[in-house]
Amino acid sequence: MRRVTIAVGMIAVFAAAAVAAPLTKGRALAIMHQRHEGMEKIGDTNKLLRREITSSSPFVPAIQSGAATIAGLSVKANGWFPRGTGPELGKTGARPQIWQTPQDFIAKLHNFQGAAQAFNAAAKSGDMNAIKARYADLNGACKACHDKYRMDMHH
Amino acid sequence: MLTGLIGFSWWSVHNDHTDWHIWSGCAILTLLIFRLLWGFFGSSTARFSSFVRGPQAVLNYLRGGWNGIGHTPLGALSVVALLVAVAIQVSLGLISQDEDGIYAGPLAGLVSSDTSDKARDIHELWFNVILGLIILHVAAIIFYRLRGRPLTKAMITGKAKIDAGSPPMRRGKWWVALLCLGVGIGVTRWIIAGAPPFGASAP
Repeated sequence: MRRVTIAVGMIAVFAAAAVAAPLTKGRALAIMHQRHEGMEKIGDTNKLLRREITSSSPFVPAIQSGAATIAGLSVKANGWFPRGTGPELGKTGARPQIWQTPQDFIAKLHNFQGAAQAFNAAAKSGDMNAIKARYADLNGACKACHDKYRMDMHH
Repeated sequence: MLTGLIGFSWWSVHNDHTDWHIWSGCAILTLLIFRLLWGFFGSSTARFSSFVRGPQAVLNYLRGGWNGIGHTPLGALSVVALLVAVAIQVSLGLISQDEDGIYAGPLAGLVSSDTSDKARDIHELWFNVILGLIILHVAAIIFYRLRGRPLTKAMITGKAKIDAGSPPMRRGKWWVALLCLGVGIGVTRWIIAGAPPFGASAP
C-alpha cells in the first residue's frame, strides 16, 4: 500500500510539474541547491553506513540512525527533480536524460525509495543478516540510477 | 600489460565502470608486487641491485662512459620513478571511496570517511604525475630508436645486441617468476579480503 501511495504521489508530482507553469529561475536554483545538499547528505551517510556494516563489530544504533536519515531524505527526493532544474540552468550532477525518459527515472527513484524503507525496517529489527541484504539492495538501487542519470560535477 | 591496465583504469572510471576500475587497480597491484619481487630474485638485468645507481654513475653515463646491459643509470631513475608513482597511486586507490559512497577501495574501511575522500582527490591528481612519467618514458624510447637502439623488443624478450666487452645477462628462472607472481596474487587476494585479520572490512 505504501509503495502504491509513493508511486501515485510521484506520478502526481511529475504530472503537475509537466503541466504547471515553468519554475522561476530563483525557485529552480533553490530546488537544485536543496537536491544537492540532500544527495550529499545521503552519500555521506552511506559512507558511514558502509564502514559500520562491513566492520567486524558493527554498532547497530549508528546503522539505525543512518538508515532513518536516508529513508527520510528519499521521500523528500520526490520534489527534487522538477523539469527545468537540469544542467541547462546551472551546475548539477543531474543528467538531462532524467527529463527525456521520465518514466524510467521515476521507476528507478521509486526503487530507491522502496529500498531505503526496506533497509530502514531491517535496521530497526537489528538483525545483521537482514541489514546486510537490504543494504546491498539499497546500494544496487543507488547505483542503477546513478549509472544512468548522474554525471560528474566538479566544484 | 601495466600500460594496458593503466589505460583501462583511466577509461573505466570515466565511463561509469568504477567496479571494473577497482578490479583493474587490483590487477596492477599484482603486477607491481611481481615486479618488486622480480627486482630481488629475477634476471640479472631486472634486479634493482644491478641497475639502480647513484648520481655519479648517471653523470658518467651522460658523458658516455657506460657500457653495461639492461637499464642505463639514467633509465634506472625512470624505472624507479614509475614504480614508486604507481605504488603510491595503487595505495591511494585502495583506501579511496567514490563521491557518492557507492564504491570503496578494499581497504577504505581501515581509514575514516574523510580520509577516503581526500585519498580519492589525491588519487585523481596523482594520475597527472603518472601521465607525465609515461610521456617521458615513451619520449625516451622514441629518442633511442631514432638513435638506432630499439628498446621495446628487448624489454619483452630480454634479448638485445650487446656491445662487445659487456658482461652477458643471467636469465631468471621460470619457477622463480611463477613464485613471484603467485606471491603477488596471494597478497592481492589478502588485500581484497580486507587485509589484516580478514573482515576488518570485508568487501
